[in-house]
Amino acid sequence: MSRVRVFLELVLVAALPGALAAQGVATRLDGRVPPQVRQAVVKIAADAAARGLPVDPLWEKAIEGGAKGVPADRVIAAVRALAGRMGDAMTALREGGVSAPTGDVVEGGADAINAGLSNHDVQDLVRASRPPYDPALTLRVAATLGALGVPANQVLQLVEAMISAGRSPGDLMGLPAEVESGISHGATPAQAAAGLTRAAAAGRPPVPPGQAKSGKPVNPHRP
Amino acid sequence: MAGYHPLVKQVLDGELSLADLPRDLRAEGEEAVRLIQAADHSPVTLSPAVEQRVMAAVRAHASSPARRAWRWLHAPRDVELRVRVRPWVVWSGALAVAAALAILFMRPSASPTPSTQLASRDSVFVRFVLYAPGARRVAVAGTFNQWDQGAAPLVPAGTSGVWTTTLALPVGQHQYAFVVDGERWVVDPAAPSVDDGFGRRNSLVSVARGTHIL
Amino acid sequence: MPASTQSPTISVTYSAGGRLGLEAEASDADVVRAVLAGDIDRYAVLVRRYRDRYARYAARMLGSRDVAEDAVQDALVRAFDRLADCRDPNKFAGWLFLILRNRCFAERRRRQRERPLGPGDDGLAAPDRPDGAYDRLERQTALERSLGHLTAEQREVFVLKHVEGMAYEEIAQITGATVASLKMRMHRAYDRLRDLMKGHL
Repeated sequence: MSRVRVFLELVLVAALPGALAAQGVATRLDGRVPPQVRQAVVKIAADAAARGLPVDPLWEKAIEGGAKGVPADRVIAAVRALAGRMGDAMTALREGGVSAPTGDVVEGGADAINAGLSNHDVQDLVRASRPPYDPALTLRVAATLGALGVPANQVLQLVEAMISAGRSPGDLMGLPAEVESGISHGATPAQAAAGLTRAAAAGRPPVPPGQAKSGKPVNPHRP
Repeated sequence: MAGYHPLVKQVLDGELSLADLPRDLRAEGEEAVRLIQAADHSPVTLSPAVEQRVMAAVRAHASSPARRAWRWLHAPRDVELRVRVRPWVVWSGALAVAAALAILFMRPSASPTPSTQLASRDSVFVRFVLYAPGARRVAVAGTFNQWDQGAAPLVPAGTSGVWTTTLALPVGQHQYAFVVDGERWVVDPAAPSVDDGFGRRNSLVSVARGTHIL
Repeated sequence: MPASTQSPTISVTYSAGGRLGLEAEASDADVVRAVLAGDIDRYAVLVRRYRDRYARYAARMLGSRDVAEDAVQDALVRAFDRLADCRDPNKFAGWLFLILRNRCFAERRRRQRERPLGPGDDGLAAPDRPDGAYDRLERQTALERSLGHLTAEQREVFVLKHVEGMAYEEIAQITGATVASLKMRMHRAYDRLRDLMKGHL
């Protein structure tokens, strides 16, 4: 990734409005996707930018398709679908009370939808994510939990239980690892999530099954 | 609530035994001992990846000053600047960043001594491992390297069939997959995965300040 | 999960093998001298030896294994960078510990700046239990949180004495404080902890 190119990209993207900016940044696709893909993606990106959606993920998805040798029409379809999910996320966010969502939050919403959550779930999560909870983080965690196989309604319950219990954002970030730990101990994703939800609701710190801590008691009489 | 009686504190310090306490202090002594015993003494084992990460940084630090400056220029934090630049970035802001980059690009030897931190404040080392016996080459491609198979090859790790590499990834979430022999795209079975939109799946890795979560 | 039916590829956690045998015998001083002479790769011996040695101390000081891992890694790299300053190669262990200790204190200061702990933080109020019995795990968690409310010096003397099992004299050597002042620190910590652990004992 040459430094001159980075220089140019920043200058281009900063200086030119909407469609022209899309054209400039599209040089990233040169040599990586066939011209028809490039053309189609530029249009999708310009349209997305006009709606206030982040465009970087669209370039990345196109480059990914090119790298994986995917047929052109499939790449275009995937990029269009991603733009659609981001649009849905944007709508859900606005209805959830976020008037000017950042790119991170919109991408998080799109990821959550891709992982199986509904627009309504996204809205609920965003509404629940008042400070100190960052909606981008909440959505990212929800998407990862969905990617682990936790059913969508349980993702919602678990995240909302953690927030209601006042658990720290750091604890929220640790949820996927806790679920994975439960899975490695033989629970299904749903069971692991249910256990964590119960623990959060009861105000106890989550302990993955089979992993209750034990330590040697210290002898206070040791010199 | 009053503090502990001085004799009770001596019990905690190991200078007196519980039995030595006068009867009326016994209960307080037992409570205090319960407090101390609640401390978590379980041994803490860090990840085996620590060695890999430290030695990677050590080798980078050990190279010559010119090479160190060159590495600093290409430090992962540059990636943070490149992505997520929205079309409505303020012109002056972009200019300042671009100017800074231009200076770095033109005068690498003038850059300050590279930080001795393990990774920049914005990136963390993450180790990728794949068991692929019979593979001739393995690479990892993802959003952090433009899905370029050539960017991050894995190397055989010594035990037959195991391939590995360690990359410094910027904070955030990334998608990736392994590429075996230049044509077979394989997810990381140990990581959560998502639909890639092309009929396959990508693996997910979340990188947070100070840690990585697979 | 990949749907392919080709030869299985699985991901495993794998610990890289190093040179065996002789390196297990080499003293810290030998290894330090070898590294200073240019054999960079030998530093891995010290990394393996000390990776976990101070991990518990770092974890109890910083409240998290992950943050501790970061601190230990940083300390090991810094120790490499400053290896020429290690006055007595035989005392590498203690010297490394001091580097780690500084790193832990710096990390605490940084966290205090970013998010100072208020008195109402962490919800230390005891849960409502009719039988008044609290299991070990709950008490352990409550203590861990309470330790976060002590000063760094108080927390350290508590960890060194009651987690690492050191004597006041040994702690005095490491920290440079006198035994008398360490005891005063510790006794204040006992009182503070008693207050914070109200209802959990």
